[in-house]
Parts: sequence; C-alpha cells; structure tokens
Amino acid sequence: MPVRVVETSSPSQVSGTTPGNNTPPPCTLLSVGQGFSGTQNVSSLQKDEAWRVNVQIQGIDHDHGYLCGTMEALNVPMADTPVVTFWEGEIVDTKNYTFFTGKWGATTEDDIKHWTKFQSFSPLLSKVEVDGGKTLDLSNYPFIFMRWKEQYFVNVGTDCGLTIAGFYYVCFSCSDGSINGFYYDPNSSPFQKLELKSTNDGRSGFSFSTYELQ
Amino acid sequence: MPSSASSSRQNHAEQLIARLNSVETPPESKLQDLRNMKNQIIGSRTKKLDYLSLGAVPCIVSILSIVVASMHSGGGGDELLELIAIQAAAIIGSFACRLESGVEAVLEAGACAFLMILITHQNEKVVDAVARSLKWIYQSKLAPKFYFLEEKNMEFLLSLLNSKNENVSCLGANIITRSCQTRMEQQALSGAGVITKLASLLDGSLSQREASLESLSVVMKKNPEIITKFLGYQNGGAVNFLTELIKDKHPRTRLLACACLIVIRNSCTTYLQDSRIKTGLVQTLLELLEDPDQVGDDAPFVLSSLIADKEDLQMIAFECQVIEKLCNYLEAGPFQAKRLQGIFLALADMCSELECCRDRAFSLEALIYIKDALKHDSADVRTAACIFLRNLSRSVKNMSAGHFTNANITSPMVQLLCDSCPSVQIAALGAICNMVIDFTARESIFMQGGLKQLVQLSKSMVSAIRVNAIWALRNLAFLVNNRCKEEILLELTMPTLTSLICDPETSVQEQALALVRNLVDGPSDSVKYVFDEAGLLLDAIGKKLHSTVKIEVLIQGMYVLSNIASGNEIEKEAAMNQLFPQCWNNTQTSFIKFLQSTDSRLRIAAVWALVNLTFPNSPGACRRVIKLLNAGIISQLKTMVNDPCLDVKLRARVALAQSMVFSDA
Repeated sequence: MPVRVVETSSPSQVSGTTPGNNTPPPCTLLSVGQGFSGTQNVSSLQKDEAWRVNVQIQGIDHDHGYLCGTMEALNVPMADTPVVTFWEGEIVDTKNYTFFTGKWGATTEDDIKHWTKFQSFSPLLSKVEVDGGKTLDLSNYPFIFMRWKEQYFVNVGTDCGLTIAGFYYVCFSCSDGSINGFYYDPNSSPFQKLELKSTNDGRSGFSFSTYELQ
Repeated sequence: MPSSASSSRQNHAEQLIARLNSVETPPESKLQDLRNMKNQIIGSRTKKLDYLSLGAVPCIVSILSIVVASMHSGGGGDELLELIAIQAAAIIGSFACRLESGVEAVLEAGACAFLMILITHQNEKVVDAVARSLKWIYQSKLAPKFYFLEEKNMEFLLSLLNSKNENVSCLGANIITRSCQTRMEQQALSGAGVITKLASLLDGSLSQREASLESLSVVMKKNPEIITKFLGYQNGGAVNFLTELIKDKHPRTRLLACACLIVIRNSCTTYLQDSRIKTGLVQTLLELLEDPDQVGDDAPFVLSSLIADKEDLQMIAFECQVIEKLCNYLEAGPFQAKRLQGIFLALADMCSELECCRDRAFSLEALIYIKDALKHDSADVRTAACIFLRNLSRSVKNMSAGHFTNANITSPMVQLLCDSCPSVQIAALGAICNMVIDFTARESIFMQGGLKQLVQLSKSMVSAIRVNAIWALRNLAFLVNNRCKEEILLELTMPTLTSLICDPETSVQEQALALVRNLVDGPSDSVKYVFDEAGLLLDAIGKKLHSTVKIEVLIQGMYVLSNIASGNEIEKEAAMNQLFPQCWNNTQTSFIKFLQSTDSRLRIAAVWALVNLTFPNSPGACRRVIKLLNAGIISQLKTMVNDPCLDVKLRARVALAQSMVFSDA
C-alpha cells in the first residue's frame, strides 16, 4: 500500500525509532468499504450551519500509517450536487506519525489545542507534550487518532467556492466506530466539528466487504 | 547472376567440408581448409549458419577426436597436428560465439569432451585456443552442467583456476558461473578454496577480473557464510576493492561489481549500510543504462535486484530521480526487447511499495508507455509492462481519481487476457485484479468487456490463471451495486461459483468465498444473492467452513456467514444453520475452535458473526442465544472479554452484552 512522502524536516514523521509493537491495532470498523455518516458543523459568527457528511474508507495500510477515502458533503449551499472529496490520512501510530503535525501550517501548540478537545486524549497529554507521544504504547488504546487531509475534489471543479486547504484532527472510537474531528485551517472558522457514526446500510448487524491488491 | 554466385559459394563450402571429411586429404590441405573456414565464419553470422546447415560441426569435432587420439597414443609434439587442433578449436569457438544454434550443434556433436581433454595439452597455443573455445560455450545458457561435487572434477576446476594462462583461468570462472546452482555446490566450491582463488583473480587482467566478479556473485548468492569468508579475505581488502570497482573505467566491470555488491547486501543486510555506497550503486547503474551494448541491456535488471522489496533503497533511488531517468529512456526509445523489459521491470520495482514513486510515474505519463508496450511483439515486454501497471495500480489515490480509466488502458488489458503466452495472461490478470476496483460506485468499465473473459479464465485448467481470475472477480464485486452483482452471477452462474468454493486449490476457495462475501455485502437486500433454489451454495460454504484447515479460507467463509447474519430474520437463521448444523455434533466444537484460533483475524470474524446473530430487536435472537448457550459459546465468549486483540475484546463484550439481555430474561 502507498505511503505519503513528507518533508524530511517534518517532525510528525518519526525516523530512527525502534520498530516495536506499540502501534494502534487494526480495527474492523475502520477497514476498507466501511462507511460513516453524520455532520460537519460549518458555523461562523454570521450563521449556524451544518452539512451532512458521508465518509467511506477506500484504502488502509497499517504498516505505513496510511489510510484514504472519500468525504461527501450534502446540502452544501453553493453546490448543486453533493460535493465529494478524496482525502488521505495519517494514523498517529508513533512509528510513522506522532501527534505533532509539523506541516500544513499547524504548530505544536495548534496540535495540542486540537487534540485536547478529544476527551480520549487526556490520558496521553503529558507524554505528547514532551515529544509528540513517540514513546506511547497505543497497542491497546481503544481510540485511534488520525489526521485527514483532503487532496482533490472528485466531482466538482476547484472553482466551486469551497476550500480543502485545511485538514482534520480525527479521533476514531474502536468500541462503536464513531468518529469525531476538528477542521483546522488558519483561514477558516476554528474548531469546525465533524461527528460521524458507523453506518450499516439498514442491516441488523455489521457487514464487511473486502478487496485485496496484488 | 546472384543465384549462381550463392550456389557457387554453397558448392565451395560443401567441397571444403567433403575434403575435411575425406581420409585421403593430406593434413596440410586440411589445415588450409580449416584456416579458410575459420576466416570465412569469424564475424559472419550468415556464413556460420550456412556451414552449420552443411554439417560442418560434426566434421570439425571428428578432426578434434583424431587429435585427441593422437595425444593418447603419444603423438604429442606433432607440429602439424597441433596447428590443426588450434584451427579446429577456433572454429568450434566461433560457432559457439553468441549463436544458440551453433552452441547446440557443438554440444550435440560432443565437442566438449574433446576440448576438456585438449585443455591439458602440452602446447600452450593449443591450450589457449581450446580455452577460448570453451569460454564461448560456457557463456551460453546451453552449456553442459559441470558437476563440482565429483572430486576429480573439483581438482580439474582448481587446475583451471590456478593456470597461468588467462583464458584458462577465465574458463574456470565461467564454468562456475554457469554451473553453480545449489547451496551444496556453493559450499563445496568454498571448501575447496575457490573463493580465495576468485578473490585473487580480481587483481588480474580485465577478463580475469570480470570472470571472477561474475562467478563470485553466483557462489556467494544467498549464502551469508560464504559472504563472510569473502569479506574476511585480506582483512576486508577484497570488499573494499569491490567497492572501488564500481568506479572502474570499464562499463562491464562496473556492472559486474555492482551486481556482486548487491548479492552481498541482499544476503547480509548488516553489511554495506553506508548510504553513500547505496547511492553510488544507484547512480552507477543509472549511468550504465546509457551503454548501447549488453551492459545497458543488463543494467536495469541489476538495478531491480538492488531495489526489489527494499523500501529504503527505493527511496534512495527515488531521490536520485531514477523514475525520471527511466521514463526518459522510454521516451527516447525504441529499444531492443530485452532492454525494454528491464526498464519496465525496474520501474515496477520502484513503484512496488512507495506512493511517492507511483505519483511521480503518473506525473510522467507512464501509462502512455505502458499502453504502447502492451502491443509489443515480445511476450517478455508485454509481461513486464503488465507488472509495472499492476504495481502502479496499487495507488488507491490514482485509481480513485480515475487515471486508469481515463488513459483508455482497459481495452488493451482485456485483450491480453487472450494472449497466447500464459505468463502474459497471468501478468495481465495481476494488473486487472487491481484495476477492476471501482471506488466511484459507478459501473466498472470492466463489466462491459472484461467480465466474460474473467469468468472464462476462472475455469482454466491452469491454477495460477484460475486463482487470479477469481481474485479479479472478487475485487470487481467490491462495493458494486446490485445490478452489477446480478450481472456477475448471471455470467459466472451459481453452479460454477459453488464448484470454485470446492476447488482443489485453497487459494481459489479463498477468493471464491471472498467474492461471495462481497456479493452479500452492501444494501440489505444483497444477501439474497447467496440463496439459490436448492441452497447448494450456502451448503457448500457451510461444509467448507467445517472441513477446511486453511486459515484464509476459514476467515472468508466466516465473513460470508457473518455478513448473511446481518440480514433479516430468515437470513440470520440460515447463517445460524450453517454455523451450527443440527446433524453434526462436532460443529459446536469447531465453532469454539474458531473462537479459540491463534489467528486474531479468525477470532474477530467469528465474534462478528455472534454479534450479528444476537443483534438486538431481532425476533429470533433469544432462540439463537439459547442455542449458543447450550453449545458452550457464551462461556467461551466470557473468556474473550480480555482477549489480547483489542478488536476481538471489544466485539466479544458487545456479543456477550447482547446475549446477556436474553439469558437474564
């Protein structure tokens, strides 16, 4: 599976660490084909607004701390149709990526400010403040932290009036598959919240699809 | 008139051979005729082929046999006979020089045996001519196997390596290169001191150095013990010298030195960690690509051996702009097939693991070069292009962006499914396996053209084709809409799908079950696809689950039933009946075995099935919980609430909590 090249000076990507087994474990609710739906709050001082959002996981590579998928925003005022974007994610696994972003205009202060908005992050705060959480053991932690960065618009042009300049700080709950996130973009309203739940296509239970790349 | 000129030449050649064959021809005339033949054929492929067709080789070998017989009867020292031997040996060598049909003729006529005797001749010039001749034979893949493990053969080989004659020592190295194939042979050669001898030849003439580099690579390949011996030679001096040789002025020396260092690094990853050496290797090989001759043809293959399966080397190569340079070469083409094959394989290796490499290749429009290569005359080139495409299509990002569809590459790929060469078919299937995945939920472009072909290939007698075809169907069915699922089933048919689940190959079974898993995933009415009239498909799945020991088959089978169990009440019961058939007492035990599997993937799949079977608000959930209780499943679940795998632990708690609602009641 792919790995994103990041700038070599980026502190978010860990190099030289001893490969251990401290990384977040795979979770079936965060696997390819899995869907999530909910809302993104896009309120500003002028008005309250929320878009309905559907997310689908398309690829995941635990070895490289990578995942990707699409995000579909419905009822977007300036768009005639739902707006779909493709995003790529970094899994904070302390091996490939730490809690420090190191790019996209986010400072370590921004990182801490956003991660602390997740209740599940509080037990990790002290170690993260020291070194981005490089020495944390996340192998049994029931939450997976990620950053999602939208890469391109799938079905509309870049002149649609929407921006994908920022990225999301994301927390996934392994227990119930819910996702919470906060959008970060210095030029947008702060802390726009993303709240998603795992969907099951109207079934009485959970179903899982599969593909395998050669 | 041209025709009479050629027939005149033909006659001349026939007469020459006839004279050589005749016992009445005096030796001096035979010597002259041999010289004539030699002068005609050296450097002329046409003349060689002409003489081959007239039976020249057996004639020459017969002359060699006379010389050997004379040697044995004490006739050494006959100057005329020695001159004849020299010419005959040179002719044999010329026939064997880069001409496969020539090598075949020479071997068939039994030349090797006589040449191996003549190499011990007292006359240095005879020895030299014979050595050159044998060198050409042993540079061919058709060369006869030399059995090192026989003691006298090893002694003979050592005598060749120890010879002061450059051609003879090179011959010794060539024999090793061609014939050393097994670990036992490597060990025998090493035990006989061959490594030391070859290392010393590195300091010899150019041809000795190159012959030695080639054979060192073969003897050391995948053998850390022998590599350590080599690295210790002259206190590390040999490997330092090797490292310097990648800067030698001779291109072939540089190439062979790179290949040798790569053999060392691939077998002993603790050595040659210096990033400057790694970068030096990449840069040297990139330069060697520009060589117009065989060195340039071989360079991309050596580059592949350096980077294959190694992300760190791929990253170094990426930073050295290998992708740009290889794509530039493709742009500058056309090339001979071998070089083209090598470039595509090197690009495939570059793009095997890293997304940055695939991104770069896409930006350089690699798909255009691939599309052209898919129609190449050479099967090797078509195969290599498919392998490159397969690795490029590991990029979910670019697949999601529709780059493969936009490049109109689908149709030529589907055509390759009917290629006359099985290796091309298999390579094409490998790429198609990835390309069929359509994340857009639109109908995959492969549904129109490729579905029929894939279904046809899923019935192939060749298991590699069968498994890849069903693999492609599995991926094709990922997240597709119901209309596509119906088309797939209509083309494949339930009986075929059922028989694939029972295929003799477990890898086929696994892919077939994964296909069913995808067919029953999606909107809630998708589960219906597994229900045929006689229930044969579902029965086959259940039976497979309870009879197989192959973990991957179990996992897919369990997910099929788990997905079905996420359906309505009838579907949940159907899954339950397959997981716990009434008539089989030992199936209760086997489900517990799934829950106790050391493989967490199977444990999680089994627990999901339980989550779905005990899903709240299902009318029959209570009845199913009682059945699970009686089967000991609930007790087993209780032991899993602290499973070492977090995913299993969390789902086991959910299944247990759901079950407890009913058992409390």
